[in-house]
Amino acid sequence: MLMVRYRDGDSDAFSTLYARHKGPLYRYLLRQVRNAGAAADLFQDVWSRLVATRGRYEARAKFATYLFHIAHNCTIDFFRRDLKMRNTARPDDADALSEPEVPEYQRPDGIAEFAEQQSALLAALGALPREQREAFLLHEETGLTIEEIARVTDVGVETAKSRLRYAIRKLKKSLLPAPIPDARPLRTRTI
Amino acid sequence: MEPADDLDEYLRGDSALSRQYRKESAPTPPHALDRRVLGSPRAAHGNPPWLAPLAFAASVLLSVALVLAIVFGPQTAKRVDDAPRLVRVAAHSDTLTNPALDRKHHLYSSDPKSARAPADWLADIAALRRAGRNREAEAELRRFHSTYPDYSTGDLALRPGSRP
Repeated sequence: MLMVRYRDGDSDAFSTLYARHKGPLYRYLLRQVRNAGAAADLFQDVWSRLVATRGRYEARAKFATYLFHIAHNCTIDFFRRDLKMRNTARPDDADALSEPEVPEYQRPDGIAEFAEQQSALLAALGALPREQREAFLLHEETGLTIEEIARVTDVGVETAKSRLRYAIRKLKKSLLPAPIPDARPLRTRTI
Repeated sequence: MEPADDLDEYLRGDSALSRQYRKESAPTPPHALDRRVLGSPRAAHGNPPWLAPLAFAASVLLSVALVLAIVFGPQTAKRVDDAPRLVRVAAHSDTLTNPALDRKHHLYSSDPKSARAPADWLADIAALRRAGRNREAEAELRRFHSTYPDYSTGDLALRPGSRP
């Protein structure tokens, strides 16, 4: 296994692992935090943690579960930091008053970086609760099973299954054609 | 609640939802980010995990060896009469070898002879004689007399093994 080889000192194995998982990991982070800058920071943080903890790696499960468990923890830390920043903002702070409920990563300038929001499906994905979005992304980007998603996100299998079920139900609605606002038949005139 | 069939169909990977998702753009990390991750020294060079404990063990071993050398090393067997000679000559090397500095010292010091007590100086001279360094002893004695012209030394400083 590549991670075992990297753990034992083979740096080429790291390059291969990186090339294989960088896309799914980046999209998972980007679509979770919905801000390119924050996603880039988290992306680097995930790989740094992987490097730092490689000595403790044991090949008990798929490497993706190990990598995305780190990524899950990084995003949890990110959302906690963001929540703490919002909660500790002083009430007399002009910025806090102007945008009291909107976290930094969801402000218009941050979302502007996230150009993907143009598609209906990705817009619906962005509107999902974070846990449901994560379950969907983990399955789509890595092919993890329900059991593996449960392990990565530190929840029970039924919880993971429920999250994924709600996610796909909401997302499927975005695939339906939008109803036509005024569907009255056109009048035809005969001359 | 969504029927179980939809979830099963979705998990098989052939649902319309999955197909649509795969059609969406698939952004990848910028090249600068690739370089930052792959350029990380620890990632690039991949130090083997056994290197850290080995380095730690080597450090401990070196520290223990150093302590043992200090405690049981040859310094403890050093002759007693070597110590004052080495320390005191070094401490006063400026005034002994550089007359300009010596004069300067006399100009700016409130007590010109406080730099070296006569008894200590004579003891050093005696130690030089006992060590067989007679030429240095003679030079030191001449400097002593120039510094303390009125101090009577007799022959205390000249006899090997004598104490002033």
